[in-house]
Amino acid sequence: MVLNELGARINGALQALSRESVIDDKALDALLRDICGALLESDVNVRLVQQLRQNVKKRVNVEELASSANKRKIIQTAVFDELCGLVDPGVEPWKPRKGKQNVIMFVGLQGSGKTTSCTKLAAYYKRKGMKVGLVCADTFRAGAFDQLKQNASRVHIPYYGSYTEADPVQIAREGVDKFKADKFDIIIVDTSGRHKQEAELFAEMVQISQAVQPDNTIFVMDGTIGQAADAQARAFKESVDIGSIIITKMDGHAKGGGAISAVAATSSPIIFIGTGEHMHDLDRFSARPFVSKMLGMGDLSGLVET
Amino acid sequence: LFGMFKSLTSGRVLTAETLAEPMARMREHLANKNVAADIAAEICRSVAQGMVGVRVGGLQSIKALVEENMERALTRILTPISSTDIIRDIAQARTQNRPYTMAFVGVNGVGKSTNLSKVCYWLLQNNKRVLIAACDTFRSGAVEQLRVHVRNLRALSTNQDVEIFERGYGKDSAAIAKDAIAFGAANNFDVVLIDTAGRMQDNEPLMRALAKLVSVNSPDKILFVGEALVGNEAVDQLTKFNQALRDFSGMSKPRHIDGMILTKFDTIDDRVGAALSMTYTTGQPIVFVGTGQTYTDLRKMNVSQVIRALLRA
Ligand SMILES: Nc1nc2c(ncn2[C@@H]2O[C@H](COP(=O)(O)OP(=O)(O)OP(=O)(O)O)[C@@H](O)[C@H]2O)c(=O)[nH]1
Ligand SMILES: Nc1nc2c(ncn2[C@@H]2O[C@H](COP(=O)(O)OP(=O)(O)OP(=O)(O)O)[C@@H](O)[C@H]2O)c(=O)[nH]1
Ligand SMILES: [Mg+2]
Ligand SMILES: [Mg+2]
Repeated sequence: MVLNELGARINGALQALSRESVIDDKALDALLRDICGALLESDVNVRLVQQLRQNVKKRVNVEELASSANKRKIIQTAVFDELCGLVDPGVEPWKPRKGKQNVIMFVGLQGSGKTTSCTKLAAYYKRKGMKVGLVCADTFRAGAFDQLKQNASRVHIPYYGSYTEADPVQIAREGVDKFKADKFDIIIVDTSGRHKQEAELFAEMVQISQAVQPDNTIFVMDGTIGQAADAQARAFKESVDIGSIIITKMDGHAKGGGAISAVAATSSPIIFIGTGEHMHDLDRFSARPFVSKMLGMGDLSGLVET
Repeated sequence: LFGMFKSLTSGRVLTAETLAEPMARMREHLANKNVAADIAAEICRSVAQGMVGVRVGGLQSIKALVEENMERALTRILTPISSTDIIRDIAQARTQNRPYTMAFVGVNGVGKSTNLSKVCYWLLQNNKRVLIAACDTFRSGAVEQLRVHVRNLRALSTNQDVEIFERGYGKDSAAIAKDAIAFGAANNFDVVLIDTAGRMQDNEPLMRALAKLVSVNSPDKILFVGEALVGNEAVDQLTKFNQALRDFSGMSKPRHIDGMILTKFDTIDDRVGAALSMTYTTGQPIVFVGTGQTYTDLRKMNVSQVIRALLRA
């Protein structure tokens, strides 16, 4: 799962540091080299990695540390905080409001897992006793409506879409209006995949967003994405008001570092990770406990405020 | 990037030490271009090795020399050894009275079905009769997706030389592919394109099912579809797909990936590193590059353009 292997690597580097008898610049550099190497192998954005290295070095002034009794803890805490900064933007994730009709729009690159994840999320809210509807505003991809329809039927969620209407803005508006009229608590709008290089696709996304006025826009990112993540995430953020992130396909070998870079690019929290193709393969995500767990921080967690 | 190394270094002999810093920078540069970290490191190591002992001429900078050597190495990696002429191979299969078969494989959502449809369009342009075998019997809407593509492609082609072979959902994909190929042979199709379900390289049951599809049907070409967006995972995906074909096939002469389609090339600006990761890992050529979401967005890879993008600051 996400970052586990990365956590093991970083933890190993930290433990190696504990074995060093003297902690000097050289030891710190070696530690940071290991950690940064592990982050790069996990697809974390190169610039963020460089930043992390600098930040830790800045925070940990080795000479001043020399007299301190808990050098190692100071270094470990600095690393921990910087890692948390990678996955935790420090904002409360959006939550649906009870007694209100909440509209959620899904956006993201082609094939990232939007259609699958929006059904998973719908099923999740349904399990919590809410009345949930799905709107298919993807009129571009071949078979998009059939896909959503089959997914939704499998988990008994009402859906709205059209085989003939070509305008996604129109369908989105109609679908949301219909579910609102029927007093649905959560209305989830699925949209086509798009990328920043095609301005028209982004303009369409903005129009859909204006038409349905989402309470939350969820950016879906493939956990295997590499260094292109940052630029794409930034571009999405500039066009629509991204409130949350879902990282998908974390059931494989991927460490998700590219997708995690989207946190910095959008200042939005990861709320769920997708862990399979089935409709219940969705895990909640919360950043700080996650980093502690990933680093196996039994003794360290006491040092760090959560 | 190499600001520090612009300085002229005249009449020096390069050592591992003098090369360490510029190579570390090159490694990070390649990682930033989305080359898998391990591969960037390996390539840099071997390029550095080749440069040790070289005497640097009066006006040469180490930066230029590193780039020159790197360009040569990248050209070697990215240039396919064998040429791929699918049209010729199709003609060859025709002489044996059988359709030429291609299987599209890969992880989830990378563009297998879409690029299969683009390849189909290209084949129709070349006056081939194409049967599309809908062997993704798992993902919702997979069959309907291909049905729509076939409808579109029929409307675009003059002779309507494309058909779909489908058996719905939940069935054994190896058996469907087999029936499709038999149907293609009986009905004078030139090519059978086999769409398969996306699968994670670590999912053993699904990887076994893919190996079975391959061993039952021996497709002429096994094309791995990978997206240009993928980072370090590219290496693991390709290694494990090859491993599964080898270990789960039960064949005495197991198959491997014959080539790649690199998709979503239009989404990555100049971070073209996945092209390098994939060819380095498999030693196989990138047969097509997908550059968009319409039928004409399929290209041959331009090696020198990829190298230029990789080395660009
Ligand atoms: N293994 C795995 N597969 C997933 C996960 N999430 C989605 N997928 C698969 O990824 C593929 C693409 O998912 P979609 O939901 O169609 O992606 P999308 O973003 O809607 O795609 P477009 O609408 O074409 O942009 C499908 O094969 C899904 O089954 C996940 O968490 N794990
Ligand atoms: N921008 C861009 N999008 C592409 C390209 N190729 C495919 N896509 C899009 O990627 C998404 C997924 O494509 P599919 O063909 O359904 O992918 P797949 O690999 O068959 O997916 P599964 O069968 O679910 O595993 C669709 O939205 C396609 O339009 C490409 O070259 N460029
Ligand atoms: Mg979709
Ligand atoms: Mg498909």
